[in-house]
Amino acid sequence: MVPPEYYLVLSAAIFCIGLFGILTRRNALLFLMSVELMLNAANINLVAFSYVWGNVTGQTFALFTMALAAAEVAIGLGIIMVLYRNFGGVDVTDATTMRW
Amino acid sequence: MAGALALQSGPLPDWTAVSPALILALTGLLLFVIDSIDSDSDNTVLLAGLSTVGSLFAFGVAGWFLVEGTGQAATGGAISLYGDALVVDGMSLFFTLIFTIVAAMVCIASLDYVAEQRHQAEFFSLVLFAATGMTLMSMSNSLATAFISLELASLPSYALVAYLKDNRGSVEAALKYFLIGALSSAVFAFGISLVYAATGSLLLSDIASSLGDADGMTGILGMGVLMLLGGFAFKTASVPFHFWAPEAYEGAPAPISAFLSSASKAAGFAIAFRVFVEAFPLGQLPAGVDWVLAFQVLAVVTMTLGNFAAATQENVKRMLAYSSIGHAGYALIGLAALTAGGPNANVLGASMAHLLVYGFMNTGAFLFIALVEYWGVGTTFEDYNGLGARAPMACVAMSVFMFSLAGLPPFGGFFSKYVLFYSAIEAGFWWLAAVGAVNSALSLFYYSRVVKAMWIEDAAPTLELGSKPVGLYTAVIFAAVGTLLLLPAFQPVIETAQTVATALF
Repeated sequence: MVPPEYYLVLSAAIFCIGLFGILTRRNALLFLMSVELMLNAANINLVAFSYVWGNVTGQTFALFTMALAAAEVAIGLGIIMVLYRNFGGVDVTDATTMRW
Repeated sequence: MAGALALQSGPLPDWTAVSPALILALTGLLLFVIDSIDSDSDNTVLLAGLSTVGSLFAFGVAGWFLVEGTGQAATGGAISLYGDALVVDGMSLFFTLIFTIVAAMVCIASLDYVAEQRHQAEFFSLVLFAATGMTLMSMSNSLATAFISLELASLPSYALVAYLKDNRGSVEAALKYFLIGALSSAVFAFGISLVYAATGSLLLSDIASSLGDADGMTGILGMGVLMLLGGFAFKTASVPFHFWAPEAYEGAPAPISAFLSSASKAAGFAIAFRVFVEAFPLGQLPAGVDWVLAFQVLAVVTMTLGNFAAATQENVKRMLAYSSIGHAGYALIGLAALTAGGPNANVLGASMAHLLVYGFMNTGAFLFIALVEYWGVGTTFEDYNGLGARAPMACVAMSVFMFSLAGLPPFGGFFSKYVLFYSAIEAGFWWLAAVGAVNSALSLFYYSRVVKAMWIEDAAPTLELGSKPVGLYTAVIFAAVGTLLLLPAFQPVIETAQTVATALF
């Protein structure tokens, strides 16, 4: 059996790759993909520790997380679409009619 | 744990305890049905009326349950449903009152605000679904339901902020709200997975009981708790996930700003109170997982940042957005001033009562902004010059909100802040109260600027107001009356809040 620490390292690495993507990319679609990476990092933990603890709570919750991620992308794509219509691009730094 | 509802008509089955949430969800679905029969319906009176009645009905049921003692010690304690995933107790009912009354005010006010827009049925049903999510947030007794209900409250909110889809400000606000929301929900989910890794459960009570066995996993648990805190900070618009708030509140349709800054914020606190108090009880925490310290830092930084940033704004809506960050800082005292064995229920109850009063005064203030936007008057303090002479009723109401938000004595906001700071001192955190008091004094500066502009400055000669919109006026006056009534009625409110908070400890 693979020791559980390995899963933690793997998920932490994927989480950090996603976070790095969010902080450096300006394309809204890449931003969505990075968020998916971060959510899937959580899923790795949930499924791995579901096995370690011997209950299915984690696996079940991982299914919920996937469904919610899909819902979130649906809303996100809608917002990116109106962003494209109003600002003529999907660069998140273009939308600056209000100051940060 | 299952308690019986002792009502006159005999005991109701346990599942009826979630009926406030069910009523909100069914009303939202009913709006969809209306929309599918008569698509692109522009009968705003029907849609707004139905959603207001639905919210008020849910408010009535929640109030009735609270008075009857459903889910409280008097009738057999909290009612847990669905394998303990949801729990209905005094605290969830108290918060449900806040969400439903704010939703009702927002729905009435939207009557005039969305009258010219398309997709009105969708607008109102999204408001009701978001309110359903918030109600479920206050009932969540497991990290799984906490995450799902948090998303149920967030996803409609993103769409609502983008409602004016040809307005660049609205779209930009929605984008920023969505980006930060998606990031924080990913952080929140990762935090849940780490807590699960360390404890092997998602139920709050099971997490609490296995905290002691988490040796060797303390670091993982600590990281998980910190990341959960990130998710709550987003929902409550506290530092470090507050960036979205000024943008989203400024760009969103003003009734939605009111909804997000009052109800959504209260929902974030509802879930944070339950998760941290139930799952990570003080005194059983492994060394190194000190969330109270984190909340103390966040409370001080949030209220100071919010108030200082508000003082430098020229745009009234943006000033209110920063002031709402400041108020999140005050409410955070409810978690920051907890100690093992201290007067915790008093502190938490005071914070809950403040959120109720805040629900009235802040919703009212944002709805006044909606009224001014409706008239097409500008957005800066100067544009408000002389409004008092043209629309005295609404401006009296706005002055009530401003003084109440600042915490001046004859209004509801004074008592709630006073009790909050007093309870912090009682718990031994005089410095938290001191920071809060200094910030309140500062906030009087920028709140009184609005009042000065409305009543003392002379109007620009071109100032012309249009008709008096019935819905917006009703909502603003209702909120003002609520803010005033919470002055004599504050005693029962604070007693209820502190009693229901006692059940958590």
